[in-house]
Amino acid sequence: MSAVSIGRAPARTNRLRPNALWLAVPGLIFLAVFFVWPVAQLLGLSVVDPDNGAFSASSYQRIAATDVYLRVLGITFRIAGWTAFWSLLVGYPLAYWLARLPDLFRGRMLLFVMVPFWTSYLVKTFAWMLILGRSGVINSLLTGAHVVDQPLSLINNQFGVMVGMVHAMVPLAVMTMLPVMTGIDRRLVQAAQTLGAAPARAFWLVYFKLSLPGVAAAGLLVFISSLGFFIVPAFLGGRQETMLAQLIITQVQELLNWSFAGALSAMMLLAALVSCVIYDRLFGLSTIAGGSAQVGTGRIRDLGLAILSAVAALAARLGAVAQALLGKRLCALLLPGFCWLVIAFLVLPTLLVIPLAFTSSQFLEFPPPGYGLSWFRTYFESPLWIQATIRSFAVAFVTAFAATAIGGFAALALANSRTRWAGLIFAFFLAPMIVPRIVIAVGLFYLFARLGLIATDLGLVIGHTVLAIPFTLVTIAAVLKTYDQRLDQAAATLGANRVRTLTGVTIPLVKGGLVAAFLFAFITSFDELTIAIFVSGGIKTTLPKQMWDDMILQLNPTLAAVSVVVFIVVTAMLLVAERFRSSSRLD
Amino acid sequence: MTNLTTKPTRRSLLQLAGGVAAGAVAAPYLTGTARAATQITVADPGGPFGPAFRKAFYDPFEKATGNKVVNVAREAEPTAQFKAMVETKSYTWDVCTLTLSARDILKAQGLLDPIGFAHADVPKLMPQAISPEFMGTDVYSTIFAYRTDKVKNAPASWTDFFNVEKFPGRRSMRKNPIDSLEQALLADGVPLDKLYPLDIDRAFKVLDKIKPHIAVWWTGGAQSTQLLQSGEVDMTTGWNARLQAAIDGGAPAKIIWNQGLYSIEGWGLPKGGPKADVARQFIRFCSDPKAQAVFTEALAYGPTNLDAYQTIPAERAKLLPTSPENLKQMAIANEDWWSANRAKVTERFNAWLLT
Repeated sequence: MSAVSIGRAPARTNRLRPNALWLAVPGLIFLAVFFVWPVAQLLGLSVVDPDNGAFSASSYQRIAATDVYLRVLGITFRIAGWTAFWSLLVGYPLAYWLARLPDLFRGRMLLFVMVPFWTSYLVKTFAWMLILGRSGVINSLLTGAHVVDQPLSLINNQFGVMVGMVHAMVPLAVMTMLPVMTGIDRRLVQAAQTLGAAPARAFWLVYFKLSLPGVAAAGLLVFISSLGFFIVPAFLGGRQETMLAQLIITQVQELLNWSFAGALSAMMLLAALVSCVIYDRLFGLSTIAGGSAQVGTGRIRDLGLAILSAVAALAARLGAVAQALLGKRLCALLLPGFCWLVIAFLVLPTLLVIPLAFTSSQFLEFPPPGYGLSWFRTYFESPLWIQATIRSFAVAFVTAFAATAIGGFAALALANSRTRWAGLIFAFFLAPMIVPRIVIAVGLFYLFARLGLIATDLGLVIGHTVLAIPFTLVTIAAVLKTYDQRLDQAAATLGANRVRTLTGVTIPLVKGGLVAAFLFAFITSFDELTIAIFVSGGIKTTLPKQMWDDMILQLNPTLAAVSVVVFIVVTAMLLVAERFRSSSRLD
Repeated sequence: MTNLTTKPTRRSLLQLAGGVAAGAVAAPYLTGTARAATQITVADPGGPFGPAFRKAFYDPFEKATGNKVVNVAREAEPTAQFKAMVETKSYTWDVCTLTLSARDILKAQGLLDPIGFAHADVPKLMPQAISPEFMGTDVYSTIFAYRTDKVKNAPASWTDFFNVEKFPGRRSMRKNPIDSLEQALLADGVPLDKLYPLDIDRAFKVLDKIKPHIAVWWTGGAQSTQLLQSGEVDMTTGWNARLQAAIDGGAPAKIIWNQGLYSIEGWGLPKGGPKADVARQFIRFCSDPKAQAVFTEALAYGPTNLDAYQTIPAERAKLLPTSPENLKQMAIANEDWWSANRAKVTERFNAWLLT
């Protein structure tokens, strides 16, 4: 499909460039069939009276009649906003530090950063309950050391939700920012300093500014994916941390009022689109979408520069104070020290899962009362678990290839075209992130039933690819933004055709972004539950589905054992890939 | 009715009933009379249910009829999947366990098929456990439990649970109006048999008083087990088997059956399913008291056929909701009231939580 569109796109002359949009066509068609159509059908129910099938606005009137749904929407946005804020604040220094490391060492460090990815979020959430709970690890240490008399309330409040969500999102933020940062020419900062800029000023006005596309992309990805979270707030939050997704799921699954669920979804979709527009105005979303086309002019840009200058001045003063207090050598350790702390935060729940997997107890309790291998035996002796594991890996691989290809070509199309539609197309590709997954899942079920794709692996792949495309597009688009288009032009001048330019120049140069996109797509599929529930019908079960079945009623340490096995397999794969990548490197 | 079950099925049903009545001795004999094997897919609640139902129902049914039973785990709330399955006629399940509320919702939308037998056929079944589209297999009860190591002054009723001065301790309740409203009214002195229709305003007034003292609002059964087991809270509401799991795991805790509300889970048939005949046969099979007694070995749920207690050891019976001792302290939750009021009350409860 894509090869055809490449062939069709006539290269060389700038005038015909809008035709690069052809590259986005496979993705547009794919999403139109497997996302827009099924979701539109379900949302259409919101204006239909469930009893007689006539047009009715009663679902919307019901939303308007009370403020509870607007308030829950507000809470959802507040939690997602804070999650994005903290993930960026914690993730930026880490990404900055990683970007400066030598390639090989960075690869190793990245494995640590990605650790939370490979632990199912169901298991992670329970791990946090064991760490932060009243008789949890932290409170036991604190009360044991007589630091506090009464256990601290660390979960079942907003703090608990933030810990859980930021922990889940920091890897996403770092992995999105990193390819952009490694693409920044560090000599520019040196040049600024040579020209007399103070280090702080050189950093904020040159490096930071160049890294902004990555920051904007990361912020957006984290914010939008947090909107759909509900398991973490349900388990780690208090009575006020209710997410809209939870209410929609209740309407779909418990009350079977799909008309009202459609109305709530439409409200959430609308609010998310509005926030995308605001985000665009404030932080320049279109700079990700439109490549280097817009340099940015006008008042907002001036304001941005003024803010950066102020931040630079403040940072310089803070830096001076810190140096006076701590001395130069300690100051130099601040960044690595902070980053190691963040990495410790990221791997802590997974480290906790390891002893839990070897527990002799029937429960996920810490510390384990005794040790044994019985839960690994349960896992390896169960064909259900093994099949689910194999299926999850296979589906995730195929999904990752499909989503990276579709998202990559779409990103390329958007970066190479200067059409004013670019913003709209970009927003369209992001839409699967915004629509609650349960809505996509139910919609897909109806479509798949007609196509005979229920309980097939292909159905799972298609559903997961829909969800993964936004991640791959944003990641690759962010890298392409910092990619120098003139290199393509140079290749074309030297006689390379479009395909050769792509495979010989563009792809090798944006490899970091492609790898990140592939991983995002892989993990999106690997950790996906909602679509698996509907599409698998319980027959072709995936690992998260199998875990979920086990934990609805009774949580047992098989989950921990599975997590450890998955973790070992994935780490081995990544190490091999890393070895392969570094040995095949040309430079 | 006549066109719903084909003749051979009816005959084999009768034979089956006879076989069941005659006890396990007759089972091998029946195998010979079974027709060509059909494979049915049944959706059970998953987790510990899978192996327990396999031993109690699936394997004996396979042995008795020669048909195959494949079990898959269904969602906690399978209604959406059920509806989608029937409307698209892609029957991934032939039988599915439903709660009473799920049964009512699905029935109202015309998504269930009749099970093909009535209370008169199995007189020892609890009358609430059977309706034209549903046969209950197990009874669960919403009660509370407290940690005996933390709560010295033993609470014995919902009034005590709601009395934070006399019975201090961290508490947890379910983040759901169902049961919570009833518990509040019971605490306020409404008798168990006069609960419905619920006095919503009065219930919220009582809940207002307890709200600041609820440390955790739980959302899933596994979470309530964990809360009690880890000592995160000292008292929690919950489903008896989930709290029993914490006690079985060694947590020093005690269940209070007094003023409990029970409800029933059981089998329902998706409308127009292609293997409805064998599925009906299977449902009928699950009414057998001996089979039901077997699942109580692993699951702390009550059998719906009260004859099952003839073979359940007394020690075990104490932990089951339908043992005579426990059952007389409790009442069944009224699904009709909830079906009519759930949407409205859920909305109010959600708003109430946020303030």
